[in-house]
Amino acid sequence: MTLVRAEGASLGYGPRPVLTGVSFAARAGERVGVLGPNGGGKTTLFRGLTGELVPLAGRLECAGRCGLVPQTERSRLDFPVSALDVALMGALSWLPWWRRPGRPERDAARAALSRVGLGDAAGETFGDLSGGQRQRVLIARALVQDAPVLLLDEPFSGLDAVTSELVERLLAELADEGRCLLIATHDVDQARGWDRVLCLNGRQVAFGPPDDVLDLDTLEQTYGGAIVELPEGGAGVLPPHHHDHGAEGA
Amino acid sequence: MLDALQLPFFQRGLAEVLLLAVGAGLLGTWIVLRGLAFFTHAVGTATFPGLVLADGLGFAPVLGALGAAVLVAAGVGLLGRRRPDAHGAATALVLCGALALGVILASDVFGTQAGVDTLLFGSLLTVGTIDLALAAAASVAAVATTLVLGPRWLAVGFDPPTARSQGVRSQGPDTVLLAAVALSAVGVLAAVGALLATALLVVPAATMRLVTSRLRAWQLWSIGLAAAEGVAGLWLSYVTDAPPGATIAVLGGAVFALVAWAQGAGARTRAALAVAAVAGLAAAGFATGPATDDGRPQVVATTTQLGDVTRAIAGDAAHVTQLLQPAADPHEYEPRPSDVRAVSHADLILASGRHLDDWIGDVAGDAGAGSEVVRVGDAVPDRVRTDEGLDPHWWHDARNMAAAARVIGERLAPEVGADGPAVRRRAAAYARRAERLDAAIARCIAQVPRDGRKLVTDHDAFATFAARYGLQVVGAVISSRTTQAQASAGDVARLTRLIRREHVRAVFPERAVDPRLARALARQAGARVGGRLYADALGPRGSPGATWAGSEAANADTIVAGLTSGRRRCRIAGP
Repeated sequence: MTLVRAEGASLGYGPRPVLTGVSFAARAGERVGVLGPNGGGKTTLFRGLTGELVPLAGRLECAGRCGLVPQTERSRLDFPVSALDVALMGALSWLPWWRRPGRPERDAARAALSRVGLGDAAGETFGDLSGGQRQRVLIARALVQDAPVLLLDEPFSGLDAVTSELVERLLAELADEGRCLLIATHDVDQARGWDRVLCLNGRQVAFGPPDDVLDLDTLEQTYGGAIVELPEGGAGVLPPHHHDHGAEGA
Repeated sequence: MLDALQLPFFQRGLAEVLLLAVGAGLLGTWIVLRGLAFFTHAVGTATFPGLVLADGLGFAPVLGALGAAVLVAAGVGLLGRRRPDAHGAATALVLCGALALGVILASDVFGTQAGVDTLLFGSLLTVGTIDLALAAAASVAAVATTLVLGPRWLAVGFDPPTARSQGVRSQGPDTVLLAAVALSAVGVLAAVGALLATALLVVPAATMRLVTSRLRAWQLWSIGLAAAEGVAGLWLSYVTDAPPGATIAVLGGAVFALVAWAQGAGARTRAALAVAAVAGLAAAGFATGPATDDGRPQVVATTTQLGDVTRAIAGDAAHVTQLLQPAADPHEYEPRPSDVRAVSHADLILASGRHLDDWIGDVAGDAGAGSEVVRVGDAVPDRVRTDEGLDPHWWHDARNMAAAARVIGERLAPEVGADGPAVRRRAAAYARRAERLDAAIARCIAQVPRDGRKLVTDHDAFATFAARYGLQVVGAVISSRTTQAQASAGDVARLTRLIRREHVRAVFPERAVDPRLARALARQAGARVGGRLYADALGPRGSPGATWAGSEAANADTIVAGLTSGRRRCRIAGP
């Protein structure tokens, strides 16, 4: 079943589009890696999918709700909220404005926290949790939102290898349950393990199964000039945030 | 503490502070979380134009304040719509507009006074039934809106973009939050005034934020701390006889500092601090309030001039409490606990009258005073009219003071039993001295050539003086009786031309008012800067103007010296 569909969509913040020619379809159970340089349009696409931006042209459709899972640094870590409080915020998207979350919503939030492996941490203060735990709490919030489509904005940034593994496994399970996951990432190698990749650089560069799409030509178009500056010797293709290391080595 | 609890004004203050604490503590947590401290401070101050309108058009000040606060909240909500977290600049804009509007209304439209000041400097000692009802309403609104909208306020503050993407609307709930804060700020106005509103609305929540990271616990503790600081502050102010609003603010600041310090200290220091704080409060509780009842009849006089004449007449026969202090501006007054207690126990309350000290009616009513208020100014014979009605500065005609002394003697004599004849004698003697002073001042002013007897002062305080002693009031720097109004650029230009045309020799600043504008005006118009006059209040102890007679003699000397470039002086012997 197709959950996300784009047909010639253009998105932008004023009259001028910053992302054009977006056409793809993502189905239930799929993990779609969204690749592209900073400013390439990944976040813009997500804002279009949540309904915050209306397409300037074409169509952009999401069956059911889109649950956004932002980077954890965008939240206020100094807020006096527990993991449960944060998960509970997901319920506000479907409760009418005069209703405060009650027992059913609370139970749903607890279940979602257990689902992401944080059942015991429900009472912990959000700001005191580790980066990986915070990421999972934000995923739990999207689950409480009861969204069939999850939009994850660089969920692996700042995580160590073990935690990364844990989150990766969680995402696989969520997809297996029939959700559609759009995952913005800089890690091309990780995206090779997923079902589809969508390459963006101000326009849609490519879309399809990673093995078909992720060749050197597409990556050069996606990341622009960044690749030619990289030092030789690396077996794979290094995305631009490795750029600094290259500069150091030179 | 127990004896204080029996006083009606203390009971009402206690009820007010407890009612306010619920809303203030609860909203305080949202104010701290959502960065609305500046808005909270501003919205109370921004009620100024509403208060001026209420005073000028004659409706309840609370309604004026509420209307202004709601408009300010709506304005900030509207301006801050695009960036929900950028309320700061929007608040500054709206505050600035509101204050400007207030000053223009006060200076150029109404020329109002008393009601405005009492609300900007509220007092827990003079709260009335309306204030209690407003405090209760503000707290009910705070609890209700928190219950319904709290989760949304939290979600929007925690992560605005995601909340937006989830379809959590922020504009409506945020405007409701601003309105609830505005309502509480107006509720707090009557208790601690606009300038100290944050003492109840922000400080307790900010303090508890240091020790808890749980929203529910934080909210409950903030309510508890706001109530505790309010009650303890009221109680301390009773014991130390300081104004309660300021006491609560100082206490709140001290508790915040202690808690912040204890955060960084070891467990033992923390325990010691807690014990010391509790012991300090307990010691204050066992202390008794200052005693005023020494068995003699109790007399309250509002102004410094009345206090002086009443003390002279009463001698040892009665205890005189004077409410206003030397060199203070009578337009600004916050009662102290001892003032209210003195009023509540008074056998005789003497007011100046003619709208100068109308606040005494509120204080007497709230204190449950048994005595009626005698407005001495209404009983003196010489009435000088100005554009704004009877001139309240009647004591600048010494013949009026002679009449006032007789009135005070008549009213006081029945209260002092066997000392009655002595009080009457002293009143008659004072009256005779005042009449001699009157003649001496008239003789002295007569030394100034007739066409040079032209007076320009800070505000219209000398109409009566001028009428009695043959001077002409050419103008006043502030063309309103209140010191709260401001001069416009046009006023200053007009007055400058007037001073030149009339060849006014000197401009006289007043003692209780900032003299800079008068000096600038004199310089610009080519006039001398005369000495400073005693206009509304007597001078401090030891100064020539410490007594009424001394102040009038000094004024006459200053005016004659100023108008004759120092060639003539008045050497009037003290009466």
